[in-house]
Amino acid sequence: MSAAGPSRGAYPVRGTSKSGARGDPAAPLLDIDRVGMTYVGGGLFRRSAVRAVDHVSLRLEAGEPEIFAVIGESGSGKTTLARMILNLATPTDGTIRFLGADVTRIRTNRDRMAFMRQVQPIFQNPFEAFNPLKRIDRYLFVSARRFAGARGRVDIEVTADKALHQVGLSLAEVKGRFPHELSGGQLQRIAIARALISAPSLIVADEPVSMVDASLRMSIVNLFKALRDELQVSIIYITHDLATAYYISDRVLIMQRGKAVESGNARAVLDNPQHPYSILLKNAVLSPDDAGRPMPPAGAAQDSSGIPVSNEE
Amino acid sequence: MIAAIQSSAVNAAPATGRVLTVDNLRAYYQTRYFGIEREVRAVDGVTLHVDRNEVYGLAGESSCGKTTLIKTLVRAIRPPLNVVGGSVTFNFAGRDCDIYALNQSDLENIRWRHLSYILQGSMNVLNPVRRVQQSFVDFAYRHIGQPMPAFLKLIEAHLHRVRLEPTVLDAYPHELSGGMRQRVTIALASVCRPDFIIADEPTTALDVVVQKDVLSMLRDVQREICSSMILVTHDIGVHANVSDRLGIMYAGRLAEEGRTVDVIRNPRHPYTSHLVTSLPRIGDVTQKRGLEGAPPNLANPPPGCRFHPRCPLAIEICRAEHPPMVDLAPGHRVACWVTAPPIKPGALQ
Amino acid sequence: MLTIFRDLFRYNREFRIGALLTGFIVFFAALSLVSPYPPQDVYIVPPDLPPSPTYWFGTTSRGQDVFWQLTFAIRNTMLFGFAVALLSRLLSIAIGMWSGYKGGIVDRVLMSINDTFIVIPLFPLLVLFYFVMRDKMSWPLLALAMACLGWAYDARLIRSVAMSLKNREFTQQSVFSGMRTSEIVLQEHLPYVLPIVFYTTMNNMNWSIGLEVTLSVLGFTNIDTPTIGVMIYWANQHTAMVAGIWWWIFFPVLFVIILFIGLFLLAISMNEYIDPRSRLARMGGMRG
Repeated sequence: MSAAGPSRGAYPVRGTSKSGARGDPAAPLLDIDRVGMTYVGGGLFRRSAVRAVDHVSLRLEAGEPEIFAVIGESGSGKTTLARMILNLATPTDGTIRFLGADVTRIRTNRDRMAFMRQVQPIFQNPFEAFNPLKRIDRYLFVSARRFAGARGRVDIEVTADKALHQVGLSLAEVKGRFPHELSGGQLQRIAIARALISAPSLIVADEPVSMVDASLRMSIVNLFKALRDELQVSIIYITHDLATAYYISDRVLIMQRGKAVESGNARAVLDNPQHPYSILLKNAVLSPDDAGRPMPPAGAAQDSSGIPVSNEE
Repeated sequence: MIAAIQSSAVNAAPATGRVLTVDNLRAYYQTRYFGIEREVRAVDGVTLHVDRNEVYGLAGESSCGKTTLIKTLVRAIRPPLNVVGGSVTFNFAGRDCDIYALNQSDLENIRWRHLSYILQGSMNVLNPVRRVQQSFVDFAYRHIGQPMPAFLKLIEAHLHRVRLEPTVLDAYPHELSGGMRQRVTIALASVCRPDFIIADEPTTALDVVVQKDVLSMLRDVQREICSSMILVTHDIGVHANVSDRLGIMYAGRLAEEGRTVDVIRNPRHPYTSHLVTSLPRIGDVTQKRGLEGAPPNLANPPPGCRFHPRCPLAIEICRAEHPPMVDLAPGHRVACWVTAPPIKPGALQ
Repeated sequence: MLTIFRDLFRYNREFRIGALLTGFIVFFAALSLVSPYPPQDVYIVPPDLPPSPTYWFGTTSRGQDVFWQLTFAIRNTMLFGFAVALLSRLLSIAIGMWSGYKGGIVDRVLMSINDTFIVIPLFPLLVLFYFVMRDKMSWPLLALAMACLGWAYDARLIRSVAMSLKNREFTQQSVFSGMRTSEIVLQEHLPYVLPIVFYTTMNNMNWSIGLEVTLSVLGFTNIDTPTIGVMIYWANQHTAMVAGIWWWIFFPVLFVIILFIGLFLLAISMNEYIDPRSRLARMGGMRG
């Protein structure tokens, strides 16, 4: 079904149904159908195609907020998948539908804003996520103005403050500060607050805690749980860390070299993986509980990328 | 004067004994820019020792000072980083040497032959425009002191021992995967059979599966050449599997130190116990909590114990004075007024 | 802003010297406002007199006081250089950032135009311009012509900065905050581009002044208005070097050299200050 309806540019607000607006209210929140991305490289005489993402499907239902973890190593295609969901890259095959509407058909500014209102990203590196030369509150204020419809200084600040409270901070702590004055944990929280201002139904978080200090990590991870439980936001949580995925996800998808290898309920899959790659992943996890046990000797070790080719993502 | 020693000789020193002694080391970044003076106390009174054939793990978050500590240990410091106090003494080939008392040529003789390092980005070590074999020649040839054909045979034997294909010698670094490169870096660091290896986040940028293999190799190499090692990483899981002893750094100081299994199973410092218990594990669904606050700004650290603003156990004296390191059990030291109060004034480690 | 200049003046030697030299020239140019002689009049003072207490820099063969002529000359030259630099900066920033951020077909088209302008030989073109314009030649027209020729090289520099900024995560964050493209380019990216712009401005001024002097010495500009080049032109017309009237050439050349050096020192010293990396280091964004 083509997405050429009356261009109102409004998506139904999460959970409620607004008939007549673009997108089918009964449609799944996110429907990724056999999506793939091929990068063609090489020169005049030899073309090589790299399948960054190969026939991956997943489905999130509207009105049932969940945390969906995508687990993979570098080169697995998880970041490419995230970019495709955010409409930062166009899949070469397959479709991605958000609330029934094809994401790649988004052309006009209005449609783009409507999409961004519903789908927001969280990036990996909290220090790079903000312009180091500018004050942080800027992003909050602009989001408030453009997405929450706030007008006037007071209204904007109130909106920003409310969003910050949802993540355990306040505008007073953050106002006028530059990124380097705050810790990684605080910056990531501010990024989450900014994403919440538009009241999105889906957040795509790409390794959100891998660059955050260990002592601050769990408060951010717990925050994601609260987003799902209290604010009804679905989260696509991309990570290479099985332990945090186990801790908060509802469902899980394990990717290897662009292919979906195993998926299902998070606890079930991670307690008892079936696919050889999943088993390999789980066994490779180093846990503090191993203390006191001797480390198994390196076998005829072929790492998953044992061939001497550089193929990092 | 440390002379070059034939690499085939086993390290002549006895099998036990201290290889590294760090005594109350203080190193600050002192900058003066446009009239503003700042002093960042990156390492502020660290005392530790590493024995022969032992892996000492150093854990801590960002801006705890562990990277600065490493730089200070190998004397890779430049202004604005200055050593303000304390000493770093190695014991190479049975002889003590204060690394800050050496002249330049002695320092060059020591580096790589007795003291080598494995860095986080393997591309930082391997020259991207030279083949791997050239890197071996650049680093190790002058120390091993044998003619080139014999030297190359030695390299191949070494690679064989650490289970690396000799074909790797002909490759350029970018042709190898991250895991392979890091293994080459480990082989490179161990080829002269040094007394001491410093590994700074050797597996942080690697995938989980590759990480386990690389760490196994690191452990095997260390055991085989009987060298001592300081392994710096923030990942407690890595320490649990590789380090013999573990030191936890916080804000430029050591908070706790002991055998890895003691520190992890029985942490006494509130920071350590939070670090260890807050990590999620597969199979565990109990609620975990994060710590309030953030690591302190080392240019303006809080008075007294630097952890007190975030500590659930803080009492009055924690705000006023820094706690001394106290021996709770043989080999297990903790610096905390609450969990490890000194028995009587003056009974300090 | 003023505190920045004060700090720079106090702690940065290049800035101090550069500011002093340029300040001196500016002051000297400002003296033209109180000149007792109108700039274009000739034969008002005894000609060919060497420097003396009455005529500090001597007089020319055309009966003009070198000192007061020079005030006008250096003022006009400076204004000219500044105008060209300003106009061409606007062009290079606009084209460079637009091309870098948009990418794709826009980038390709703009950069093809850009490369054409880089390759064109400027000097013959300007001479041709003079011959076409002849009597209608005026300084504003020449400034416009030079500005249209002088933006290309710097546009490419700015474009490469814009391209690298586009891929940084904070740009994506800005997009998802709802910022418009113009806002992103002007508010987020411009601070990174400014150091280059400032440096190229000084460079451009030096270039345009040099070109103006060259054209004027050869007589390809309006030779009634005094500028450094025009002064040298007239000196050559009256064979000043052969006649021994060295002061007619020496002082203009000296002053233009002082101006060049002053501008150059300002550029390199301010550059270090504005550059984002050193700004961050000063703000203390150093993590242990």
